[in-house]
Amino acid sequence: MIRAFNLTKRYASLTAVDKISFDIPKGQVVGFLGPNGAGKTTTMRLLTAYLPASSGRCEVMGHDVSKEPLAVRRSIGYLPENNPLYEDFEVTDTLHYVGKLRGMTDPARRMERVKTVLKACGLRSAVGKKVSELSKGYRQRLGLAGAIIHDPDVLILDEPTSGLDPNQVLEVRELIKDLKKEKTLLLSTHILSEVTATCDRIIIISAGKIAADGTAVEISGSLQNKNRLYLEMKGPDSAVSEALSALPGAARVYPDQQDGGRSGFIVESEAKTDLREAAFNLAAEKRWPILAMSQKTLSLEEVFRKLTQEQPQP
Amino acid sequence: MNEKAPILQFHAIRALAARGFKTYVESPSAYVVLFVFYLLTGYLFTLPLFLTGQASIAGMKDFVPLLLTFLVPALAMGLLAEEMRSGTFETLATLPLEDWDITLGKYLGFAAFYLLAVAGLLFYPIVLSFMVQPPSHLDWGQTIGILCSFSCLGLMYGAIGLYASSLHKNQIVALVTAFLIAFVLFLFGKLDNFFSGPMATIVEFVGSDSHMMAMSKGVFDSRDIIYFASVIFGFLYLTAQRLSNRRF
Ligand SMILES: Nc1ncnc2c1ncn2[C@@H]1O[C@H](COP(=O)(O)OP(=O)(O)OP(=O)(O)O)[C@@H](O)[C@H]1O
Ligand SMILES: [Mg+2]
Repeated sequence: MIRAFNLTKRYASLTAVDKISFDIPKGQVVGFLGPNGAGKTTTMRLLTAYLPASSGRCEVMGHDVSKEPLAVRRSIGYLPENNPLYEDFEVTDTLHYVGKLRGMTDPARRMERVKTVLKACGLRSAVGKKVSELSKGYRQRLGLAGAIIHDPDVLILDEPTSGLDPNQVLEVRELIKDLKKEKTLLLSTHILSEVTATCDRIIIISAGKIAADGTAVEISGSLQNKNRLYLEMKGPDSAVSEALSALPGAARVYPDQQDGGRSGFIVESEAKTDLREAAFNLAAEKRWPILAMSQKTLSLEEVFRKLTQEQPQP
Repeated sequence: MNEKAPILQFHAIRALAARGFKTYVESPSAYVVLFVFYLLTGYLFTLPLFLTGQASIAGMKDFVPLLLTFLVPALAMGLLAEEMRSGTFETLATLPLEDWDITLGKYLGFAAFYLLAVAGLLFYPIVLSFMVQPPSHLDWGQTIGILCSFSCLGLMYGAIGLYASSLHKNQIVALVTAFLIAFVLFLFGKLDNFFSGPMATIVEFVGSDSHMMAMSKGVFDSRDIIYFASVIFGFLYLTAQRLSNRRF
């Protein structure tokens, strides 16, 4: 349904999306997860034919986005980031307007459709209000209603629950759950619980690259096959980090924060390698007392942090 | 974008135009523009009426073109810039519409409102003709001719304004850009005396002034119509190009 091959978008000097490839089959709900500036919005803009790709290609429902942008736009319902709406419109005007622009010329049929989405999005109590008078939750519902007015097969939602209070987050999530029964859905967020609550599959994107792709269980599992040792030594940070990296078997060393603000290093190695003894010897040799040492396993939260924080952010 | 010739989606163009027109009708800034327009034209109409007892809108002929170089860009500046500023442009641009659909929809919304505003100038001569003792005979042919020339000129400035509005999300940028282009065209019309030979002909042709002259006497010359039509088309074309560069 949605395919990307080496999709790349460069702004003047910055590569916002860097050779991304994925294939989303029909009916799947995919959560696009990444920190601010990771390239989620940019990817979605490439998929919706809003921005041209710098290289690579993508297709939606078999239509190449750069060759048949109109066919792509027809089959997609898109909720842009920040959900832009015409403030002076009334709720139903907004939906009729989008409907008209989408070629729903028959007023009776359009009316029918508007009623359907108003009901589906729980907007009936807001009928008659101006967009500028709506609460943020209702704005978001209206944005969603506009995106599904033409009953698209593919829905692309950019941060559909951002800025909502917890109750409204739940309500919008319910709405998305209802929608996902029949549609292919790609939604972006930087909230982890969001994807675990609604998505079949998670694509974690960081600094324009795909850092992980799979179900929540697969992703955290793939990272558990490494041994992670948390170490706090009393010594100059840079020297400690360097010495730890030099340990035989140490694959990666990176700083880590413990609860309570203490900071140390994580030493990553193959699952079968145990570095504890080597670390102890190192500490003794260098006279850096060990303040803490523990074996670590990762929650999905940490997986996300790990995958997205190590690369330097632009 | 695609090789295939664009097929206009008239239903969408109509929806866009209707929306644009409605925005004007409901927007305070459009009324400020209209207020300035009618205030100054009203003054230009009544002044000769009181001074010489002449009923004619010919007094507007010299000043209104200059006034329009500013007022029309002020009307048009928001057409696309406002959508870009508020972010609704992203929704609009991801709808299944061609660049020309958006361009024409936006332009026609402006054109409808502008033509209505010019038609409003008929108010002065009509009121006059209802007066008990009409001060003097009004030349309706000339009146209609002048209004037509204002219409053509404003529609041309409007196309320029629409293009300027597509350049940046800041409306002031659009206003100034459109004003400068319109003003240069206006100036060229006044400058032809300073040139001679073929240069003068070119300057005269490029300038808007000469093309209004015959029309305001009620004479419709095909060259004048072609001038306005091609400038309008040119800037609409640039707008569509600009839209296609902004997205696909
Ligand atoms: N029009 C633009 N011109 C230049 N750089 C841009 C432009 N739009 C985005 N960027 C840059 O591209 C990178 C990716 O941005 P993008 O908006 O796709 O991130 P995001 O994942 O959606 O982040 P967020 O969670 O904050 O919405 C960022 O570094 C951003 O600064
Ligand atoms: Mg974003």
